[in-house]
Amino acid sequence: MTAASVSPVARAEATRHAWLVVGLSLIVACALVGSLFVGYAGLDVTQAIADALRGAQTLPAIVLVELRLPRALLGCFVGFSLGLAGAAMQGFLRNPLAEPGVVGVSGAAALGAVIAFYSGLSTLVPLALPFGAIAGAIFAALLLFALVGRGAGTMTVILAGVAINSFAAALTSLALNLSPNGFSALEIVYWLMGSLVDRSLPQVWLATPFMLAGWILLLTAAPALDALSLGEPTARSLGFDMARLRVRLVVGAALAVGASVAVSGAIGFVGLVAPHVLRPFVGHRPGRLLFVSGLGGAALLLLADIAARLLPIRPELKLGVITAMVGAPFLFHLVYRLRREA
Amino acid sequence: MLRLADADRVASVSWLSRDAANSNVAALADRVPVNHGLAEEVMSHRPDVVLAGAWSSRTTVEILKRLGVKLVEFDVPRTFDEARAEIRKLAAAIGEQERGEAMVRDIDAGLAALPSPKPPLRALVMQPNGFTVEKGSLVEEIMNRAGLENLASRVGGGGYLQVPLEAVALQQADVMILNGEAYGAPSLATAALEHPIIKALGRRLRVVALPPKLWTCVGPNLVEATRLLIAQTRGAGTAAR
Repeated sequence: MTAASVSPVARAEATRHAWLVVGLSLIVACALVGSLFVGYAGLDVTQAIADALRGAQTLPAIVLVELRLPRALLGCFVGFSLGLAGAAMQGFLRNPLAEPGVVGVSGAAALGAVIAFYSGLSTLVPLALPFGAIAGAIFAALLLFALVGRGAGTMTVILAGVAINSFAAALTSLALNLSPNGFSALEIVYWLMGSLVDRSLPQVWLATPFMLAGWILLLTAAPALDALSLGEPTARSLGFDMARLRVRLVVGAALAVGASVAVSGAIGFVGLVAPHVLRPFVGHRPGRLLFVSGLGGAALLLLADIAARLLPIRPELKLGVITAMVGAPFLFHLVYRLRREA
Repeated sequence: MLRLADADRVASVSWLSRDAANSNVAALADRVPVNHGLAEEVMSHRPDVVLAGAWSSRTTVEILKRLGVKLVEFDVPRTFDEARAEIRKLAAAIGEQERGEAMVRDIDAGLAALPSPKPPLRALVMQPNGFTVEKGSLVEEIMNRAGLENLASRVGGGGYLQVPLEAVALQQADVMILNGEAYGAPSLATAALEHPIIKALGRRLRVVALPPKLWTCVGPNLVEATRLLIAQTRGAGTAAR
C-alpha cells in the first residue's frame, strides 16, 4: 500500500481526530474568553478591551490587562502543561496512573520553588524561581523513572509517588517554617494546592518560555511513544532510541511542570483526568493523545478557575481543591479497575 | 505597660515586644526579660500580676488561673473609648492610675490638636496576603478620624477579609494604606503588594505606607498614626512610596 492510497478507515480516523482537535480548541478558546469575563466586581469587558486596544489607561483596561488577562493565560498554559505532561508520562511508563501530581513531580517542583523564593534568591534573580522548580521536577522525574522503570506494576508507581510526594511536602513545610517571615507558614497551602489569584503579566513572561520548550520536547516525542506502544523491541527496530526518549521526556515534563508550579503552585489531577477522558477518542494511541490531553488540561483548569471565582466561598478555594474534587473519583475508579484486572 | 511602669517593676514581657518593626517599646523591652507566652516561663518569674491579651494562648491562661495567679485579661479595643478604658484598666492593675490618666489626657490632647479633613476620601487598608481591616475596628476609627472612609465593608462581610486586588481596583479607592513594612524576608504575602497593577493605577490611587507598629497596640502611637494618615493623604506632596 502506498501513501497515496490511504485506507478509508485510516482517513476516517484522521478526520475524526481533526474534529476532536478543533472541538477541544473551541472549548479552550471559550473558557479563555469566559475567564476574562468572570471576576469579583462588575467590569465592562467589551469597554475594557476597547480601551486597552486604544492604549487608554482607564480603570477597566488596567484591571483587564494587569489582572484578568494574566490569570486566564496562566490557567490555559498551566493546564496545557499538566495535561500534556500527564499524557506523556503515562505513554512512556505505560501506566494510566502516572501523573505529575500523583507521582510527586509537582510536589518536588513546589519544593524547588519554595527554596528559591523564601531564600530570597528569586528577589535578586527572578529566573531563580522557575529554575528552582524545574530542578525539583527533574530530580523527582529522574528518581521516579529510576525507581519504577518501564512497565513496572501500578503498585510500584503509586508507592514511589507516595514516597516522593510526602518527602517533598515535608521538606516544603520545613523550608516555610524556617523562613523568618511570619506569613510564610500560612503559604504552604498555596504551594501544595495551587491558585491563580492575583497573577501578573511578568509571571506570564517568566514561565511561558520554559513551558513552551517543554511542550516542544514532549509533543515531538509522539512518534516514539506510538512506536513504543507496540513494545520496546519493535520501537527499537523502528529506530527509536529508548535512552534518548527517556531523557527527552524527563526534561520536557520537568520544564512544563516546573515552570507551571513556579507560578501557580502544585495543582493535582489535571494530568490524570484529561488523558483518561480523551484516551478512547484517539484510539488509545499515546502519540495522538499528547496534544489533545494538553487541550483537555487547559479547558479543565480554566473551568476550575472560573468555578473558584463563581462559587460563593471566600477567600476563594485553592485550585487543587477543585481539581481534586473532579479528579479523585477518576483516581479511585482507575485503582478499582486495575485491581480487577490484576 | 512598659510605658506605665518603671522597668524594674516589670518581671517579663512578651518576646514580640522586642521586634522593632511591630513594637513601639522595643527599646524599653530590651531591658526586661522576655517570655514566649508559656505558663512555665511566666511562673518562673513569680509575678504578682499577669497581663494577658485576647491573643494569648488559652491553655496558658487556664493553667495560670488554676495556679491562682492574679490575672488581668485585655480585649482588643474597637474604639477610642475602649482604648482609653483599656489603658485605665491596665494602669489600675499595676497600681499606676495617675500615669494611666496622664497617658489618656495626652492622647485626647493630641487628637484634639489634629485637623478634621473633609470631604472623606475612600480608602482600603491592604495587609500582606491581601487582608484588609474589618468594619468596627480601632483601625477604622483611626481612619475615620483622619477623614477616610473604610471601603472594606463594601467588599464583603465582617472580619479581617482577604481582598483580591481586582476588588481593590474596581472599588475605586482614593487611598490604599499599605501595612507593608511588617517583615523584610520574602513571602508571597508581601509580593502581592508589589503587583504591577498598583503601579499601573498610579495617580488615581495614593499609596500610603504606615508602620504597623503604630496601630497594633493602644497608646500614644494612636495619635501618631492619625497624624501620619492625615499628613500623607491630604498633603500636597506625592504619594509615599
